[in-house]
Amino acid sequence: MDKQTFLTWAGRNARRIGVKKDLVVQAFEKAMTSQAGPDAPFEVPDTMHINMRYSYGGQSRFFREIFENKRLMGTRCSACSKVFCPPRTNCPHCYGRTEWVELRGTGKILSYTTVYFATSSYIKQVPYIVAYIKLDGADTAILSNVEMKDIGKARVGMEVKVVFRNQRDGRITDIYFRENG
Amino acid sequence: MKRVGIVGVGTTQFRSRWTEKTYFELAFDAVKMALEDAGAAKEQIDCVVYGIYNDFFERQFQPDLFVHDYLGMAPKPGIRVSTGGATGGSALSAGFAQVASGLYDVCLVVGVEKSADCLDYESGKSSPEVLKAISYTADMTYEQPTGRTAAGSFALTTIAHLEKYGNPTELQMAKVSVKNHTNALLNPVSQSPIALTVDDVMKSPMIAYPFKRYDNCLYSEGSAVLILASEDAAKRFRKQPVWIQGIGAALDWAIIGNRKDLYSFESSRIAAKKAYTMAGIQHPLEEIDLAELHDAFTGTELIAYEDCFFCEEGQGGRLIDDGIVEASGKLPVNVSGGLIGCGHAVGATGIMQTNEIVLHLRGEAGKRQVAGARTGLVQSIGGPGAAWTVCLVLERE
Ligand SMILES: [Zn+2]
Repeated sequence: MDKQTFLTWAGRNARRIGVKKDLVVQAFEKAMTSQAGPDAPFEVPDTMHINMRYSYGGQSRFFREIFENKRLMGTRCSACSKVFCPPRTNCPHCYGRTEWVELRGTGKILSYTTVYFATSSYIKQVPYIVAYIKLDGADTAILSNVEMKDIGKARVGMEVKVVFRNQRDGRITDIYFRENG
Repeated sequence: MKRVGIVGVGTTQFRSRWTEKTYFELAFDAVKMALEDAGAAKEQIDCVVYGIYNDFFERQFQPDLFVHDYLGMAPKPGIRVSTGGATGGSALSAGFAQVASGLYDVCLVVGVEKSADCLDYESGKSSPEVLKAISYTADMTYEQPTGRTAAGSFALTTIAHLEKYGNPTELQMAKVSVKNHTNALLNPVSQSPIALTVDDVMKSPMIAYPFKRYDNCLYSEGSAVLILASEDAAKRFRKQPVWIQGIGAALDWAIIGNRKDLYSFESSRIAAKKAYTMAGIQHPLEEIDLAELHDAFTGTELIAYEDCFFCEEGQGGRLIDDGIVEASGKLPVNVSGGLIGCGHAVGATGIMQTNEIVLHLRGEAGKRQVAGARTGLVQSIGGPGAAWTVCLVLERE
């Protein structure tokens, strides 16, 4: 394929898959402009992409309280009294219904890791801490991010408290945790 | 329940990328190998189970349809299984049930996976986009948005184990990496046969604390296939069957924060116990001749020694320190190179591990043959923090 035909092809495909043209050119120029035999692998740009709207269903209040009121909620089973955060509208142990309870937002790190190599959506944010946090008053632990100045100081058992982001999107990442005290 | 034997195996080369072959072509190659190994014709297959993990990896939802078509298996019954890293083991478990129940006599189990067609155009690399494809199999409501990776989910458990027992240490993990990369040198289908030192591993870049580059398994592309037959049907094929004497499976809480403890893989302990009970194994360290354990990360292999009851809880590190799990040791683990040295072509992995054991039990494993092997263990795990585990005990007559 000659250079001009290649560039036109790259531009058309770049628009189709929603990637900058120069990146498509970078990825395909060598293969597409060299003399490959008729049986050489033929690669093309592609993507799989679906836009959606997602209802939180019975879990909606958890996300709405964070989003609108900076309140962290859990649920308590009306039959066996277990407290869940992340919340559940139904108890997985006794199948009882649960009711909403407000949590203080303090808790402890049960375990953590520091991510240094991430997916293409997060690669620019590394390193960051992801931890399971057992909130005071809850029987289960929630996965969240812990932000701290010295990232090497995260420890199992560390006391943390919830922080509500100023700009909230209605997603679980509207909250994160910081060392308490 | 009928006795079920493995009568044919085939594994393609595991590679970082196969541009010469699509997923259905890779599957075809391994199926052809397994049929030739068994001396079987495709007409002798009664049903098929497909182990294919991630639809993004294949760039095709319901990819089993098109493998089945390409193999010319129409109109035989076929089902697809997808259980994360345990997909291969679960496909085998489903195939076992098809034959043990008496519903079918001969079942083809096909594991196949691509991955590196996923491409992060910004960096020009596959890995970040492969990880993104994997991230959609995390809980999308509460967990995926935090940016926890697959390595992260296993690192969380490893840190909890370290906190409780003081191990696995980074040095012990590095030794596992060296062992598995070295073992891969003798495996002709392996993707990463390299002579590494402990120092190389310790100095490799951090991926998810405490795992470094060489503590991680590889993303691989490849296919592994085996043929299951009932005791009667096995007589139709030319190889001595390797019998599935025990099989155990469990699916633990996938949201790890719901578990009682974070420091061990409960699904693995339950699956191993069930498989041992079924096979009549009482002292695993004495009775098992070799094991292929799911070393997605070095730390998880060390914890797997405990979960498979080779030692007490908290003692896993000792088995690598004492050389027990080396290829020349009392209980060699991952002679194939495991996921770290041979590779992790997800849907194919559990079947690749099983095929490796089959070769040893037949005495066909060439330079890496474990002498006189009679009993082998396969552990296949997947999902966040090993939510799924399938264990199989294999024996020769
Ligand atoms: Zn309850």
